[in-house]
Amino acid sequence: MITEQEVEDLLRSGGYIADESISTAVFLALRMEKPILIEGPPGVGKTGLAKTLSQVMDFPLVRLQCYEGIDEGKALYDWEYGKQLLYTQLLRTQLDNYLSASVDLRAAVERLSAEESLFFSQNFLVQRPILRSFLSDKRSLLLIDEIDRSGDEFEALLLECLSDFQVSIPELGVIEARTRPLVILTSNGTRMISDALRRRCLFLYIGYPEFEREVSIVCARFPELCETLARQMVDFVRKVRELNLRKAPSVSETLDWAQVLSILHTSRLTPEVVANTVGTIAKHQADMQQVNELAAQVFR
Amino acid sequence: MERIITRFVNALRERGIRVSPGESIDAVHALALGGVGGRESVRALLRLTLVKNVNDIPAFEEVFDRFFSTRQDSLGLDPMDLLGAMIHIVEGEQLKADAHKQRREDEGPLLVTDEEVTADELKDLLALEETEGETAGAEIMVKLDGFREKKQSPPSDFYMKSPPTVAFHQGVNKSAAAVPFTPEELADIQEVVSRMLVRIRKDVRRMKEMENRGKLHVIRTIQKNYRHGMVPFLLSLRRKRKEKPRLVVLCDVSYSVSHATRFMLLLLHTLQNRLMHVRSFIFNRDLAEITAMLRNMPVNCLLETIDRGEIVNLDDNSDYGNVFLAFKKKHLENMRGKPAIIIMGDARNNYNEANEWALEEIREKAGYMLWLTPDERETWQRGDCLIDLYGAYCDRVEVVRDVDELSRMVEDLFYTLYDHHDTRTWRQARHRPKTEEPYDYRTYYTRKGGAAPAFDPDVRRQW
Repeated sequence: MITEQEVEDLLRSGGYIADESISTAVFLALRMEKPILIEGPPGVGKTGLAKTLSQVMDFPLVRLQCYEGIDEGKALYDWEYGKQLLYTQLLRTQLDNYLSASVDLRAAVERLSAEESLFFSQNFLVQRPILRSFLSDKRSLLLIDEIDRSGDEFEALLLECLSDFQVSIPELGVIEARTRPLVILTSNGTRMISDALRRRCLFLYIGYPEFEREVSIVCARFPELCETLARQMVDFVRKVRELNLRKAPSVSETLDWAQVLSILHTSRLTPEVVANTVGTIAKHQADMQQVNELAAQVFR
Repeated sequence: MERIITRFVNALRERGIRVSPGESIDAVHALALGGVGGRESVRALLRLTLVKNVNDIPAFEEVFDRFFSTRQDSLGLDPMDLLGAMIHIVEGEQLKADAHKQRREDEGPLLVTDEEVTADELKDLLALEETEGETAGAEIMVKLDGFREKKQSPPSDFYMKSPPTVAFHQGVNKSAAAVPFTPEELADIQEVVSRMLVRIRKDVRRMKEMENRGKLHVIRTIQKNYRHGMVPFLLSLRRKRKEKPRLVVLCDVSYSVSHATRFMLLLLHTLQNRLMHVRSFIFNRDLAEITAMLRNMPVNCLLETIDRGEIVNLDDNSDYGNVFLAFKKKHLENMRGKPAIIIMGDARNNYNEANEWALEEIREKAGYMLWLTPDERETWQRGDCLIDLYGAYCDRVEVVRDVDELSRMVEDLFYTLYDHHDTRTWRQARHRPKTEEPYDYRTYYTRKGGAAPAFDPDVRRQW
């Protein structure tokens, strides 16, 4: 069985630098077969964790992007009306033959209803992400992204799936998961997730990383960047976060910036360099000005 | 280990973190799986399984540090010494507690006798009323007890299930009116508002479904069912109404009501463009529109700007007559539809021209008019309050004291608005039974007892 340290090493091999709580969460989720609910500001690697995990653990990734108005027809399963109709049309002659034996209408209806299950079978069932991940032969990773965008009804829908790993379809009965997927839910915290859902999950909060961890994230992703520049960069970004910006730069912005700097072959940060590349870390006009002012102060 | 976890969970609950039994079982499982490796790993394990909310994390850290304190290692003391000290402390505590108890017992009757003495001395009716019965004394005792408890250990608000309410006078208590909302206040208000929004949304959805039961939209139905070979599996019905209700809000921002207005502004800020079209105005002597600012600025920023007097001059006294005149002249022409108008203010006109005819003209153009005042009904007759005069032109005049009441008012209004446009909906039929006789709003204030019935458009049309 996998241990905590192995999880961390695995993630590191996939280029994801995890801290203690992240690797513990993944380890527990694997062992206890519980979903993880990840909250945190955008761009700190919530979705990234799921992607890296699916890569290094070799779990196929099944992704469900939530949006306002998502329902079971989009998340769990749907019936293929078109196909059902088509089959009825095509099988009309067979049906005629089959039903011709019955003497009256009542017998014909009875006969047909005996075959009803044919039309509501797995044949005509469209598997949407959750059902697909439950029915896959290999253990998969189900990523339910940005759950806070969906509505209360959808959350309630998830409760059964996440606690018992089963889907109830009225026409077919309860379908249990063949393999229990590793479930990761992410949320940006724009809406409070209900306690019922929280209770069924391990709760992991990923905030902005500490200085050393962020440096090693940058170094792991862009080895060509020299470490002093990486340190200088991360230090600056952390100072920018303390400004009262409309959108504070997150890890993904740091990585974008690192990429830009490595393409430009920059060796050290100056106010000019920051001014030229400020678009990668500040996303509003007013923010850009503030960042430039800070750069002028810091790199005098 | 189970016992330790249970105790730890209890400590967390004391601190106000909600932990369900299932979660503590999870924690035990997790510890069994993860092993008690090191302090940090145990912390991570427990945090993952027991804490389900970001806001609870700092409290958890604090409880964890206190509960699994490493004092013993860090001080490097002899365990036996420590034990001795411990016993000493415990004994001391016990002594102190005893003394405490003693004192409390002494104090109890003393307080009551005190009261009795004053009752004897003062034959004043008021004083008699105050000390009537022993309830007052008992109450004081309870309060004192509560206070003592608080001093010893923080009270657990685990059972505090009632939603937070923020009373308006909180704003008054603060010395300067210019203090923006604290984060906690903001969070509380946001919670009240968001709960209201959830309620409204649900009902709106239901109402929309009801609305949807109209005529069949043939073209859209065919389009929708194209992939089913035109067999109409999915129906599309004609929507009856496409517009959100319109709302115009006039807020008095003078010092006398500024605390209430701030909450109103915050409420508007949240409501803005979510469920209705809102046009917001603030006034003191002059009137100014702040719709665009509400949309673009953070609410604290806006409040500061208002408090600095950059939008309307705050040094003037409020002049309702002037404001209604200005509103009629500048804005009444381009009011689209029949908006509902809310006026928030105490109607203290500082003995200026009342201009109630302007309000009457505004009323003609409005679909509904609501006056909200933070003042109690008893004070309406006093001083320069013109609410009787103005109230005659409003469909409703209400007193709002705190955020809960305010949000309930707005919610109520919202339903009224949604019903208003349809001739007769199920909601109206169910929740707003028609009164037998048409209510005469001109006698609203002279009549004794009972509030006016809810506004009914049909009734209004009659007189």
